Amino acid sequence: MTLTVEDLGVGYGKRADVLSDVGLEVARGELIGLLGPNGSGKSTLIKTIAGITRKKRGTLRWDGTIDLDALPRRELAKLVAYVPQSIQLSYSLDVREAVLLGRTPYFGTRPSDEDWRHVDAALELLGLAELADRRVTELSGGQAQRVLIARALAQDPTVLLLDEPTSALDIRYQWQTLSLARKVARDNSVAAVIAIHDLNQAARFCDRVVFLHGGTVLAAGRPVDVYSSELIAQVYGVDVELSLYKGFVEVHPASDADEEIDELDALRRPESALETSSRP
Amino acid sequence: MTTTISPPPAVDPSRPRRGGRRYAVQVTTVAVGAVLTVLAALVSIQVGTSGATFGDVVGTIWGRLTLTGGDEQLQTIIWELRVPRVTLAILGGAALAVAGTIFQGLLRNPLVSPYTLGIAPAAAFGASVSIIILGGSTSSNGFTLVLGALIAALLNTAIVLALASSKQLDATTLILLGIALTQLFNALTAGLQYFTDDEVLAAIVRWTWGSVNGAAWYQVAVLLLLMAFAYPYIQYRSGALNAIAFAGDDGARSLGVPVTRVRLHLIVVAAVLTAVTISFTGIIGFVGLVGPHIARLIIGGNHRFLLPFSALIGALLLVVADTVGRLLLSPAVIPVGIIDAIIGAPIFIYLVLTRRKALA
Repeated sequence: MTLTVEDLGVGYGKRADVLSDVGLEVARGELIGLLGPNGSGKSTLIKTIAGITRKKRGTLRWDGTIDLDALPRRELAKLVAYVPQSIQLSYSLDVREAVLLGRTPYFGTRPSDEDWRHVDAALELLGLAELADRRVTELSGGQAQRVLIARALAQDPTVLLLDEPTSALDIRYQWQTLSLARKVARDNSVAAVIAIHDLNQAARFCDRVVFLHGGTVLAAGRPVDVYSSELIAQVYGVDVELSLYKGFVEVHPASDADEEIDELDALRRPESALETSSRP
Repeated sequence: MTTTISPPPAVDPSRPRRGGRRYAVQVTTVAVGAVLTVLAALVSIQVGTSGATFGDVVGTIWGRLTLTGGDEQLQTIIWELRVPRVTLAILGGAALAVAGTIFQGLLRNPLVSPYTLGIAPAAAFGASVSIIILGGSTSSNGFTLVLGALIAALLNTAIVLALASSKQLDATTLILLGIALTQLFNALTAGLQYFTDDEVLAAIVRWTWGSVNGAAWYQVAVLLLLMAFAYPYIQYRSGALNAIAFAGDDGARSLGVPVTRVRLHLIVVAAVLTAVTISFTGIIGFVGLVGPHIARLIIGGNHRFLLPFSALIGALLLVVADTVGRLLLSPAVIPVGIIDAIIGAPIFIYLVLTRRKALA
């Protein structure tokens, strides 16, 4: 049971090839990190799988047989859930109602008891039960992001897509969101895809990563296998050094190390530095 | 292909919030609103009807509905003058407030009203053309006048939607096109006014105040029929409207809502409601912009309850405004379009200061 993306091509307006020949496989229970600089096509890929953006070429399939593109929108929404980066609100809704939006594909004008059960379960899982009667506009950034994730979980999806959910959060909520995404993938055997900027967090939380560059896939695999300073230089245009910590690969900015050590020494020993300079 | 996201927790009997009872407050609020509207309507019918008591009013309406007869003179006054007037205020207020709620939700903008797409200036232009052709001698219920306003208003909506369709009816595009057409039709109307004499000018200006003075039974029938068809559809789309208003276009699409189609259908419905109403009444302001806000501050943002409650608030506002307008300088009648803002604005200010949380 996998999400299979093959030869995907997407373009709109003047940009003919936002994505071209993109291939991707995500199994149930797996969290895949989508990496790449701004404009590399991460969001477009996620929105295309979610049925928000139309593809030009290629196939999107679940389980080898279900053509996601041919599904009615409502049926697709029962299978695939999408968590946007953030949302601007013009009007306020209480948290429970905001999560109930996730049941939109399931009920007509009146939510059933089963709809409420899913809402309550999602609130519980994200630690929002206490905040259920609060208004969404009163929440902090991290809490509001959790409401969006809860909404996606109330959708009861098989495929969960998260579009840079951590970008606006402080480090605690970044980690919380990532471990939650992984937990949901594992516990509910959901195929999860997350677009993310932080290479170290991707290496730490994602099972596999996919590097997008200019709308094509440059590399894919386990972080520890695919991360290399050449690849990262090619994708992001920065020089890095890699290290291993407890089996996880880590990325550091490259520097002229000897020079820095000299500078550090100079800072640590101001007296000696003074002595040196005062000597004739 | 459905899986259970974390097994739903067992039903806890100590929890009172199950099924329909979750919305007890909202349902009660709507019911109270409905009762208040009926009461306000009855009072409004009685006010100004010389010598009639409250009981006479109820008795006469009952007699008419059951065809058992009653005082003939009283019946004529009530049935031919008061009832159409009050019913038009109720239906018109409901239509404008519902249209306002739809526009505000669809375009995710609290500053939007039913007139944002330029419907009102277009109707004023159509009405002006009619008045000038007919020499300005007709009263505001003249059929040609209604037709002129209606055609111009619908034409304006068609132009906006046709132009915006190239941008998938994007919210900002719609608002900007509305601004352009508002300016255009205002200029056209001003141009006509420049070349007319004082009498015609006065007729045009009087029309733009908005009133139910010219209420006729055919208008009530048309609006009632329209609401009977439009409202069930609007209520049916309340879930989709929630998704568009609160999740954004992309979010709503990912929740299974065909955003462009729903937006097109709901704009057409709201625009037709607005166009028909103001072609009968002239441009009644305020209720379509602030009515939805008053409703939202009281009942919350969920459109399943906000839509019916907006309709009731809109109806109440116009019925009360019309009653006050008839009492204030009796026997002169101040147009409802002037009074509704004078009554509504303080209520709105009070709600904004005390319950602002419902707005962002």
